[in-house]
Amino acid sequence: MSVSRDDFSIAFRSALLQRGASQKFSIFSLIVVALVVFFLDVYGFTVVKTARSFINDIVYRVTYLASAPTRIFPGINEAIASHFNLKKENEELRQVIERYKSLDLNLEYISNENKNLKKVLDTESVKSVSNIVLAKVLVDRNSPFLKSIIINKGSKEGIIKGMPVTQNKYLVGRIVETNYLSSRVLLLNDLNSRIPVTFDEKSTQAILTGGGTRKPTLTYLPEDYEFEDDVTVFASGKDGIFNAGTPIGKTKYTGEVELFVDPNQLSFVTVNLIKPSKEIF
Amino acid sequence: MAKANIINKLFAAGPLILLYYLSISEMDTNLEKLIEVFSINLQIIIIYFWIIKRPNLMGTGHIFFAGLINDVVMGFPLGISSLSYLVVCFVGNYVRNKSVNTTIASDWFTFLIALLFANLLFFSLLNNFSEVAISYAKIGYNTFFTLFLFPVFWLLFNLYQMSFIGSQDA
Repeated sequence: MSVSRDDFSIAFRSALLQRGASQKFSIFSLIVVALVVFFLDVYGFTVVKTARSFINDIVYRVTYLASAPTRIFPGINEAIASHFNLKKENEELRQVIERYKSLDLNLEYISNENKNLKKVLDTESVKSVSNIVLAKVLVDRNSPFLKSIIINKGSKEGIIKGMPVTQNKYLVGRIVETNYLSSRVLLLNDLNSRIPVTFDEKSTQAILTGGGTRKPTLTYLPEDYEFEDDVTVFASGKDGIFNAGTPIGKTKYTGEVELFVDPNQLSFVTVNLIKPSKEIF
Repeated sequence: MAKANIINKLFAAGPLILLYYLSISEMDTNLEKLIEVFSINLQIIIIYFWIIKRPNLMGTGHIFFAGLINDVVMGFPLGISSLSYLVVCFVGNYVRNKSVNTTIASDWFTFLIALLFANLLFFSLLNNFSEVAISYAKIGYNTFFTLFLFPVFWLLFNLYQMSFIGSQDA
């Protein structure tokens, strides 16, 4: 009995304290260091925050470079596939052209209308161009636990925590971490995301709750509320963070919301430099 | 001769390079675009396998550092992934000290213990000391798929070991 206990303690101690040729540090010492780093980071000492911000900026840039193959290879694959499908695609395109020719009568009118609408949209964009920052998505690593992206603009551009992030004027998420040259955006489908929204003719109020899945759900609704498909959901702006009326997505009869912007397909986003009226986090 | 030596060293550094690459790149080990619940923790499988088979290829300092990088990229508090990786290392070291010869079945069983300890520490620290909320269902799925796919990666890594590094166990 005592021999087996000795055995256990020897193996236990050896596993924890032993060092070898390539094991320059014992596991015990590294666990202690990791715990110290963890608590320093969690309790947010200023020195650690600054150091973390600096490390984040470097690591995000390296991550962007290291991820180049994962971005390039799918592109090459698609290019090869499209090359082989060229003939088939050509036939399909001819058919499409024929179809469009038959609709030619309305085309001119629609295109003129489109041009006019674009002009209106451009004018609107010019008005607000000083309040937005266009940012490139550096990292969109798909974690099973956290749904977030890293963008290449940070506090240098005046970005602060809580600012809303949009793409084509559709809401994408909000800033939750800022570094000097980069920021982290919490997406709408993350478990930690809660947004006050309004929708339908009665201006029903609800909270859009991320669940870590692709589609967030509407919660805190009036009793016995029955969902309809394809009702547009807007930010209500009641939290003082998001602009009231920013479109988010369309409802499903299940209570989920199909987002206008696919969180997995983001390349460029705009950060609205609106100072949130209340402190976040 | 010198060229062969460099190639051997490169092959020997393969697992460590893969560990660093998984930590720093956008490469996802979860296929949630295809199957929403599917995700695995490949880093833990790599660490456990190589700590048991060839501890000289997987320095604990490197494991600690890879954990820190993973935390930065994923947005977790610094040090939390390092801690869970080191727990896996510890269980792996203990199993190696106590056993003479290992099989896929014995490694699979002991991996369950390592995985449970590592995830328990990871999520209890996250739950108690951080504001980040995490879905318990996702944790369950992640643990299940990591455990379930361990034998597949065990065979792949074993094949790599026999083909490029040498078949002798630690």
